[in-house]
Amino acid sequence: MPLIVVALLLLAGVSEAVGRILPLAVRRPGMSRTLVASFMLAGGLVEGAVFALWPLTAWTLAELVLSSPPPGEELVWTPGLVAPLMLAAVLAFPLLGPFLHLLLFVGAGAGLVSPLAAATGLGWWGAAGCVAVAGAGLGVAVEAVRRLVVRISAAEARVSVA
Amino acid sequence: MNGFLLWVCAIGPALLAEALLARYEVLAYGAGWRAPTTALPEGVPYARGAAPDRPPGAYLVYLDGIGKRRFRDSRDGGLLVKALIAGAPELRVLGQVLPYSPLADPLAERPVWAWLRRRIGLLLFLHNVMQTFVAADHRYRPLYNRAVGSQIATQLRLAGYQPDSGIPVVLLSYSGGAQVAGGAVDELHTQLRSPLLLITLGGFHNGANDLSRAEQLHQLTSASDRIERVGTWIFPQRWRLFRGSAWNRAIRAGKITVHRLDPATHVGPRSYISPTARLPDGRSHLDRTADTVIALIRAHHNATVPTDDLLP
Repeated sequence: MPLIVVALLLLAGVSEAVGRILPLAVRRPGMSRTLVASFMLAGGLVEGAVFALWPLTAWTLAELVLSSPPPGEELVWTPGLVAPLMLAAVLAFPLLGPFLHLLLFVGAGAGLVSPLAAATGLGWWGAAGCVAVAGAGLGVAVEAVRRLVVRISAAEARVSVA
Repeated sequence: MNGFLLWVCAIGPALLAEALLARYEVLAYGAGWRAPTTALPEGVPYARGAAPDRPPGAYLVYLDGIGKRRFRDSRDGGLLVKALIAGAPELRVLGQVLPYSPLADPLAERPVWAWLRRRIGLLLFLHNVMQTFVAADHRYRPLYNRAVGSQIATQLRLAGYQPDSGIPVVLLSYSGGAQVAGGAVDELHTQLRSPLLLITLGGFHNGANDLSRAEQLHQLTSASDRIERVGTWIFPQRWRLFRGSAWNRAIRAGKITVHRLDPATHVGPRSYISPTARLPDGRSHLDRTADTVIALIRAHHNATVPTDDLLP
């Protein structure tokens, strides 16, 4: 993976973490700036890794759908395709954030569809299905992990208070 | 086309940046990075109207619209406050609360914003609009409500309000101030345990705040008020369909009373607060609005205290 794509994925991951973590951070007293920044960096690494897996997962799904190996090269992020994800912090926008975030991801996903369709010969709708299922699956998986972490940390906080 | 490009390339990113930065104050408040301001500048009283040496008929807190950017009254809000003080000398009136600043930090006195005010004054209104949206967002709303509710409670205490005194507190809100007024109900009840009366004037709010601890909400509105109507369209909690929303529960509980101030508009020369627009009976819109607010407060007061305790 080219270094520029890795850098963009990291920035996109941090952007996503900023959008997700700041709304949570405002609810918790005693959050120092350093702690918030470290949460965002750690979250950014995780989110960046999840973004990196999106085309790979879509490609794997396409392989499962096809009876024979795809004729083209494996689907990967290019700088142009991954760049819009750097606006993922828009999630934190008051009121409209979740909707704008969804639109952004639909747009980024649409960018992956054409290269996947061309590389696999699945057709546009088939490729779109693979990209959508991969994106939704990764989103659900990472959300489950997030909730688990929140639940565990809340339980630990209760134990320490008791 | 050029106008559209200007919007997309210049105003669009400015809007985006402003919306993302708008949350900084509530973040700083929640994390405890900065304490809210409590002292007022020299010369700004904690309350006006009724003298502090005897209990007033009610404490009235005026929560202004998006033009509010300093402790002193805005131009239009100041007219209404003056009319209320003149018409109801039994009230102690507070106009210094900053509904769009969880840290009670006047926008006009922040260096960057003071610079912007001289060049792009519109951005100050935009900032306050965004604060209204922050206050309406379910992720930030509880904290925002606590911040401004505490600000109001603090100013009421500084103005002489005694918790558990039973003296009514009236939150009179104009436009976006209604979002904050509804949000402050729980915190005020918790801190002061005061009887609460809400009066909204062209109220713009999302209907998500629990009003069960308020005694009544009087909604002053007009068929010509387009901005208030936008609020009823864009916030699902205001739709009748969502029967479980706080707003619809308050309606079913009989807590909302609508009063029409036709043909007043939300802003402009025919607004609710216009001293020049005249009604057929010769009163100005400002006079009618002030008269209505005073009558509602006195009716509420008469209904809640024994007759021999009434103030003149």
